[in-house]
Amino acid sequence: MGNSNIVEATADAPLVDRDLAYVIEQFLYREARLLDEERYEEWLELMAEDIHYWMPGIQARYRADKAAKISLSRMAYFDDDLAYLRKRVERARQTTAWAEDPPTRHFHMVTNIEVQPTERPNEWTVHSLVFNLRHRNEAEQLELTARRRDLIRQEATGALKIARRFIQLQQTVLQAKNFNTFL
Amino acid sequence: MELERIFARSWIFVAHDSQVPNVGDFLTTYVGEDAVIVSRARDNKVHVFINSCSHRGNRVCFAEAGSARRFTCNFHGWSYGLDGALSGVTAEHLYENNPTFDRDKLGLHKARVESYGGMHFANFDPDAPSLADYLGDFRWYLDIILDNDEGGIEFIDGNIKSRLKCNWKFPAENFIGDAYHATWTHSSALLALFGKVPKMHADRSYQVNANGHGWEFGTDFVGNAATLCEPEIVDYLRESEAMFQERLGKMRTRMVGSLSSATVFPNLSFLAGHNTFRTWNPKGPTETELHTWVFLNRNAPDALKEKYRRGVMLTFSPAGVFEMDDGENFEHCTASNAGVVTRRRKLHTGLGLGSEIHHPELKGHVHQNQINEANHRAFYQRWVDLMTAPSWADVPAR
Repeated sequence: MGNSNIVEATADAPLVDRDLAYVIEQFLYREARLLDEERYEEWLELMAEDIHYWMPGIQARYRADKAAKISLSRMAYFDDDLAYLRKRVERARQTTAWAEDPPTRHFHMVTNIEVQPTERPNEWTVHSLVFNLRHRNEAEQLELTARRRDLIRQEATGALKIARRFIQLQQTVLQAKNFNTFL
Repeated sequence: MELERIFARSWIFVAHDSQVPNVGDFLTTYVGEDAVIVSRARDNKVHVFINSCSHRGNRVCFAEAGSARRFTCNFHGWSYGLDGALSGVTAEHLYENNPTFDRDKLGLHKARVESYGGMHFANFDPDAPSLADYLGDFRWYLDIILDNDEGGIEFIDGNIKSRLKCNWKFPAENFIGDAYHATWTHSSALLALFGKVPKMHADRSYQVNANGHGWEFGTDFVGNAATLCEPEIVDYLRESEAMFQERLGKMRTRMVGSLSSATVFPNLSFLAGHNTFRTWNPKGPTETELHTWVFLNRNAPDALKEKYRRGVMLTFSPAGVFEMDDGENFEHCTASNAGVVTRRRKLHTGLGLGSEIHHPELKGHVHQNQINEANHRAFYQRWVDLMTAPSWADVPAR
């Protein structure tokens, strides 16, 4: 996978145009709704061909520890290209995907969207927070929170695509039996 | 009760050698519900001791892994060496002429540590048998994954941890002998990845167990490995077949990556071929913390490491397409027992009664057909043995 996933982030990037920020915000809200409604095929359409969708395992290490807090060579929840994402969707679509039936009630809240320019005129680094709730069966409630850093690209057709997504889960021990959603 | 009779008396897996390669390297984990530190001390040996200060009981290490010279308590500053011995006390003169203060007796309570094939196990019972005797004939089977290459195995960095609201025994019994669920529970993953479910052959598959440890397996060599969806892994296994045969013989070579699953009693499970180890750590009777690792042969090409890492993530980790449907089952098997009538009812665990055979090569108790519950029965026999035995002297070899 190389290091292509590290989405650049700077502290003092200039503000982008208000219209652009609005377009990207609407894009992310729509993406969240597609996930809530399990419209996974349409969601996959929002991914660039070279998407790297990465959710590393998070370790609690001391501040003085020189080892990286996260690393591409460590185990991850997701470290996916488009082919892997498609396999996950394919499983969810089977009538024998027991953990999907009755359906999970998904809830994706996206907030703190911050758009920063990159060196390329058609790509932006986009920070956001995601708050996800999954309700299942009678009283199951699974809660996930994460910081996201996306590279969003406008393709020649004008369509926005997610080219990189780095998801920093807040939990070191996943408080859930599974991960039958995307963040 | 299980914490006392099973976890405080059994050999519990705590770390592989490659996780703490250098002096000072440590990780924190659990033996039952006892938090422990696993650390490589200056004697270059791996030590295991409780993660709780001898003064007020506070936790002394909060990182899950790292490198340290000592472990210092945040509360009053007592510090402990890499072997758990008390090394420093704040304002030690306060304890001068105090007969209750004996530095040598105030180290962190230590477990016995023994290892097999680089796998370190801890045991808090001084009367327990050696790890070698505890594993018994199962060592011969563990060699299939730990010793199919002269370099042995190494763990990939990182440990995915997750909580399931289930009793720890459901996943442990699932891995020791439940081939039966594979094509039903995991039908969605198998259909998504391959468009069909694999066949298991009664005449060419087995369940074996010894001392409550067990492995259910086909003799298809690469069945598990193939589900990682990384063809290079299967190629590697096929290219290495002659080497495996030289080290393990023909029969055990057929098990290196075959459709299979296994549990070392009580809570260490693994999948040959997928190359994943996991432990099921009890958090009360209705919750379990799952720790998942990926391993591979140390001598395997570097590029293969990446294939295993991603392949296990896609299949057998909390977001994996196989594991996704397991958690649901384990949790509801547990939750349904809240009902008194439901709990009173005896579950049926009789699949494959009378299937025990004598096999010229396979060791331990051998049962024909991996679709069987012989290993479930052996697991619970061992569980009963330990739960009812006042001491290890009363535990029969099985």
